Amino acid sequence: MSAPIYQVEGLVIDLYTPTVSVRAVDGAGFHVAPGETLAIVGESGSGKTVMTLGPLGLLPEGVAVDLRGTARADGKDILSMSPAELSRMRGGFFGVIFQDPMSALNPMLKIGPQLARQAQLYAGLSAQEAKKEAVSLLARSGIPDPEDRYDRYPHELSGGMLQRAMIALALAARPRVLIADEPTTALDATVQAQILALIRQIQKEDGIAVILITHDIGAVSVLADRVAVLYAGQVAEEGSAIDVLTAPLHPYTRGLLASVPDFRSENATGTKEIPGIPPNQAQLEAGCRFADRCELVQPQCRTHRPPLVKVGTGAVPHRVACPVVITAEGIVTHD
Amino acid sequence: MQRMFMRRVVLALLLMLAATALTFWLVTAAPGNVAALIAERAAGAGADGEMIAKIADDLGLNDPLPVRYARWLGDALTGDFGVSLRTGKPMAEEFAERIPMTLALLTGGGVLALVLSLAMGIAGAASNGGIVDRLLHGMALIGASTPNFFVAAMLVIVFSVWLGMVPTFGVSGLTSWLLPWITIALFPASVLARVVRVNLQDTMSRPFATTGFAKGLTRRAVLLREALPNIAIPYMTTFGAQFTLMIIGAIVVERVFGLNGVGAFFIEAIRFRDFIGMQATLTLFVVFFVSINLLVDLLAMLADPRLRRPKKA
Repeated sequence: MSAPIYQVEGLVIDLYTPTVSVRAVDGAGFHVAPGETLAIVGESGSGKTVMTLGPLGLLPEGVAVDLRGTARADGKDILSMSPAELSRMRGGFFGVIFQDPMSALNPMLKIGPQLARQAQLYAGLSAQEAKKEAVSLLARSGIPDPEDRYDRYPHELSGGMLQRAMIALALAARPRVLIADEPTTALDATVQAQILALIRQIQKEDGIAVILITHDIGAVSVLADRVAVLYAGQVAEEGSAIDVLTAPLHPYTRGLLASVPDFRSENATGTKEIPGIPPNQAQLEAGCRFADRCELVQPQCRTHRPPLVKVGTGAVPHRVACPVVITAEGIVTHD
Repeated sequence: MQRMFMRRVVLALLLMLAATALTFWLVTAAPGNVAALIAERAAGAGADGEMIAKIADDLGLNDPLPVRYARWLGDALTGDFGVSLRTGKPMAEEFAERIPMTLALLTGGGVLALVLSLAMGIAGAASNGGIVDRLLHGMALIGASTPNFFVAAMLVIVFSVWLGMVPTFGVSGLTSWLLPWITIALFPASVLARVVRVNLQDTMSRPFATTGFAKGLTRRAVLLREALPNIAIPYMTTFGAQFTLMIIGAIVVERVFGLNGVGAFFIEAIRFRDFIGMQATLTLFVVFFVSINLLVDLLAMLADPRLRRPKKA
């Protein structure tokens, strides 16, 4: 595996509103290499989106953000960049696909010209080339009759077509890292599969790094090379998709996978929920975040934060933040 | 779109009809007797009951109200609004002289309100809670709560009396328009500046604004390219309402600054119980109100691609 093109370490993000302060991300990190797909999974509120979009300055306005740690994109620390530098980085180096294409595309702007502008600004094309590029991007994203769609407004396209347009827009600047924030959540089931296939195809053809934020384990198994499991703003487990999905170690990962229905198994209704609710991130206590919901909980879990420890000898490092499982199952560590 | 357009036009015409009927009724219900007034003008103190009765009969004032309204409407549709009881001139002539003055006041004030409100609203949103934002918020609050006669008096004292920069009265060149324009624009500019500011803020927290940032736009570019087009519709609608309300401001401003416009005429008509002048002026105001609002509605429809280009089936 080649060296990471985007690497985030020791990220701490506090979010403030006038009334509450929340530690949304607490010492988490991830990295992704060209041609690789990293899936960041976790339930709603686990900090997936904040962790991924926060360093890019893409959190909604009106929330005050305090952000620490390092985030290196192409060897440059994006957290110490000026707003103008970071803007250029967002436009050119990263491409972002959002959850709901219906609200993520400006209703007053035609679709095609936005793509053309990106191609002109970041891929260095002339105005005419950029327009051609925009049309071919729409075609490549599976939009029929792209010349006609070029001059359309978002309300004239269906949700699935809009998400394809969103993908085309994200690709127009020829980014090196594509971030897809729950790209299929707002779409019909049949369209979901098409969108995932499109992302995989783009990934193969362009060899770009993809970060997929999702709580859809199905999407993970289709797309991901590596998986990072986030719980309450911390990485609980990370490793190759095969390791994490087929041999999960962290009690939370196991619970998460057990709660997904498996239609291929004979016992399709055999899902199991994780008891309890995630901790209130406005009032965090010491120790493991999952302790209150964990079947394996030990006294030290409530006082010491479990470190992320490398286990196994696979080519892709498998790390888990649960000393209890490691001890109980006699797993060999490599740190 | 075309059906919606036709519906609006028909609605506007009905509204004008209803409003003129209402004002006609109110004007005739006001205390005072037109026939007595006319008799007094013609014969001075020597006007007697017989003469008044004859005038009333000649003018058809004894007919039922609907008949009189129908007769008035028929004349009005041909452009005949009667003869002013105060000046003795046909109302069409009065309007021809005075409308340009009022139009100049409203146009200048409207343009000023437009420019000021956009500049203040955008600057406030760009500052986003900073010192400029708070300062502009305070200014808008003061501007929206100061009565125009007070504003006019203050402006005259400072700029005409103390500084001697502009004349206090009448029209003599462009500079004489400055104080009237500022006076009449201050209230709508303040209200509209808040509309711009609040709607921009709301739009900046919408998902497509985040997409704008993700496209690599700076905050200023997101504000101007992505957010601003989205406030066009609420802005235009409020602007239309504020612009029509400026006619009420014009009544005060024209009097204070000695401008010989329709507003000043209206005040004189009321003082003189010039019922014909009042009804004609009110009709003019109604037509102005309804047609400006209709125009703004139609422009707003054109500004929104969702209305301009409905989704293909």
